[in-house]
Amino acid sequence: MRKALLASGAALMLFTQGAQAQERKLVISVYGFAQDAFKTILYDPFEAKCGCKVVVETGNSVERLAKLEANKGNPVIDMAVVSTADALAASRAGLIAPIDVTKLSNYDKLYDIAKDPIGGHLSVGYTFYATSIVYRADKVTINSWNDLFSKELAGRVAFPNVTTNQGPPTLYMVGKAMGQNTPDLKAPIAKVAEHKDDFVTFYVRSSQLVQLMQQEEIWAAPIGRFAWDGFAKMNFPIKWASPKEGQTGGMNVMMLVKGAKNKDLALEFMDYWLSTEIQTKLAERLVDSPSNKEVKLPPAIADNLTYGDDIVKTLDLQPADAILDNRDNWLSQWNAKVGQ
Amino acid sequence: MTSRLLSTIILTIVMLFLIGPFLIIVAASLSAGDTLAFPPQGLSFKWVLKVFEIESFRASFVMSMMLAILGTLAALVIGIPVSYALARYKVPFGETVRTIVSAPIIVPGIIVGLALLRYLVIPLGFNIGLALFMAHTALVLPYAVRVVSASMVNLRSDIEEAAVLLGCSRLGAFLRVVLPSIRGGILAAFILGFVTSFNQVPVSLFLSGPGVRTLPIDMLAYLETTYDPSVAALSALLAFMSIGIVFLAERFLGFSRYV
Amino acid sequence: MFQNRAEALALALPAALFAAVVFIAPVVILLSEGMRNAEGWSLASYVAFFTTPLNLTVFIRTLKLGAMVTVVAAIIGYATALCIVNLPPKGRGRMVGLVVLPLMISPVARTYAWIVILGRTGFVNQALTGLGLTDGPIRILFSETAVFIGLLQLFLPLMIIALISALENMPRDAIPAARVLGANWLQVFWKVILPLTKEGLVIGGTLVFTGSLTAYITPAILGGSKVLMLETLLYQRVTVANDFASASVIAMILIVMSFSANLLLKRLATARAKR
Repeated sequence: MRKALLASGAALMLFTQGAQAQERKLVISVYGFAQDAFKTILYDPFEAKCGCKVVVETGNSVERLAKLEANKGNPVIDMAVVSTADALAASRAGLIAPIDVTKLSNYDKLYDIAKDPIGGHLSVGYTFYATSIVYRADKVTINSWNDLFSKELAGRVAFPNVTTNQGPPTLYMVGKAMGQNTPDLKAPIAKVAEHKDDFVTFYVRSSQLVQLMQQEEIWAAPIGRFAWDGFAKMNFPIKWASPKEGQTGGMNVMMLVKGAKNKDLALEFMDYWLSTEIQTKLAERLVDSPSNKEVKLPPAIADNLTYGDDIVKTLDLQPADAILDNRDNWLSQWNAKVGQ
Repeated sequence: MTSRLLSTIILTIVMLFLIGPFLIIVAASLSAGDTLAFPPQGLSFKWVLKVFEIESFRASFVMSMMLAILGTLAALVIGIPVSYALARYKVPFGETVRTIVSAPIIVPGIIVGLALLRYLVIPLGFNIGLALFMAHTALVLPYAVRVVSASMVNLRSDIEEAAVLLGCSRLGAFLRVVLPSIRGGILAAFILGFVTSFNQVPVSLFLSGPGVRTLPIDMLAYLETTYDPSVAALSALLAFMSIGIVFLAERFLGFSRYV
Repeated sequence: MFQNRAEALALALPAALFAAVVFIAPVVILLSEGMRNAEGWSLASYVAFFTTPLNLTVFIRTLKLGAMVTVVAAIIGYATALCIVNLPPKGRGRMVGLVVLPLMISPVARTYAWIVILGRTGFVNQALTGLGLTDGPIRILFSETAVFIGLLQLFLPLMIIALISALENMPRDAIPAARVLGANWLQVFWKVILPLTKEGLVIGGTLVFTGSLTAYITPAILGGSKVLMLETLLYQRVTVANDFASASVIAMILIVMSFSANLLLKRLATARAKR
């Protein structure tokens, strides 16, 4: 009994002590992708450099944004990386503070479109990606976004859920292929609804797709290029489609949380992440395509990434405000028609 | 004879259904391939070894262990007295007290986690580790009370009364007479509580923060980003750990008498 | 029985207070949140919830799957438990051990295994195709069937164990006596076994039903966003939209459902006993 009491007391102290630890600590919120690579390339070297601890929270953009919102009064996160649309949402909700770009020594090396994606210096782009369709070349050919609804692929496609970052761009391209790309995405959502039983699942995390492809559960799925690496390693002939309507894509950005407890450390970390050295290493591991234009990559690697100004300019991107202003409407349409 | 054959067939099918998935997990974790598959592609221990290299698993394992051990101890520290009181005393509103302490078993865990997040962690800046500790203690409390109460049922109260008459204090009688006799029950409650807390998902689902995660939640998160067999390997290791603990407890204590 | 009230309270209060403050109070506040809006008490969240077709679908699906899993678990549970109690003691102990074993394994692992088993190239499909029951692999993952199988495997042991202990407490000669009196097996089950083991069925049934209602991992992994259940919907409402009003409504539904399942089963048990 007495031992148990002592132990519980010790437990309480241990748990509370965690919060009071006075060590310098940077808390970041990132996508769950390729965390082993990020740890060796980015977090560990940064920890060594700053003499601080990097604490990482992972999850998809929407969920992490909801957490930021919930913790608004007492922010636990210092810096977060999200999509441009979610960054805009965060700025409208008053969750983020402007970034003092004069503190970022690598700022001038960025491609112009990465410098201030949502205005007000509230975000800095650190990577781009193309969004297209991965598919089993031995089973089907994909030349158009419309092919996702083809007879051969019925029951073999995972489609991104509308709440994910890949959902709206995919719907947008489907609309374009149908010749009906109104901002409300009414036609493509109706089309997905009509074929909803033909989709294996409406995925929320693209990382899950590798397993589904491996198990031959799916033959095709629209994904962001950042997820390509897992497919490229497979024993199947997997291809990245170049649909005739073009590819879409997006940019991921860093943002500084308003009221962040370690603002200077967060800026130091951002600058480090944007440096030519780190951006090159991340690109070489095929983790993220660089937004730093001084990064030079051999063709073999560049082919696997969304690399260079020219490529980025060819992507058919949805503007962040268009995504944000329509998102609720898309979601309710989706829930009413597809979610049933 | 036919009924014996029928019985064997039924039992074989049901056991295959119950145990089969576990065997597949074990087999898949020994695969040499890069994705979870059955039959495994080749044989290797690389995924078992990889489990120990993944840092977040180490951290969340420690977290889950601490929660399971300390949460269960705390539940016993408050649970044993209330069980004793309910067995030996006329407790005012005894039934209400019993309902209150067993309520956590009826209310879905996800709601408990959400409620704590919403009213303790967010508004009061409560430490998530502490919230988890409290949630797990509350969760284990009903088991502690039930098992310890069950072990007190067969305990004769006259021995204790005799001890008091012979000049022992009430506390002394409890410590010297009651506690030793319900030792087995307490240990059974501890093991049950430990396993329940360690494998608990819904309660911990909302109670996670940067760097603070229980092991099952961490496994789910890992699954969502990587489908390599390391989670299968970890699951197999954990299962063997649980089975080992229960087996030893059964062997030396006759654990199942109390559950 | 000791009479000292102060001592009794001192012993009972810490646990009661802890459960009340840490557990009951937050849950009650959470539930009340769904019943008010900016102006005061209001059932607007409930109206909004139940007039959204998606939510209704999810609600009905959860109820349906919970009921199906409970019924099937009861049928398999009786068959298994009857087989086990008729085994010699040693075999019985082993079988009980095997039934308990899955309960010691993390539900994450148990659910995860089904992804491999139920997949297109998995066991089940190989068997179905091999036996000529289907023309080719069928899609099971991300369907209600997958969730049903996962839940059944997760909660069947609870039913079996509850029924074994009920059957063990049954008078030894009840079944032979009924047989001698000319009852067939169905009558024996209906008139003898069922009434005498109803307590076990109630306990097992409640555990399985509430377990199925409140399982998170199984619908999350095996159902995905196409087969939402109340628990996954609750998680989604909170994490995607910070929608605590819907979460509170769902919480209320889940609690009411588990309580009424408990009451209903108890009622059924006593009704049969009176006859």
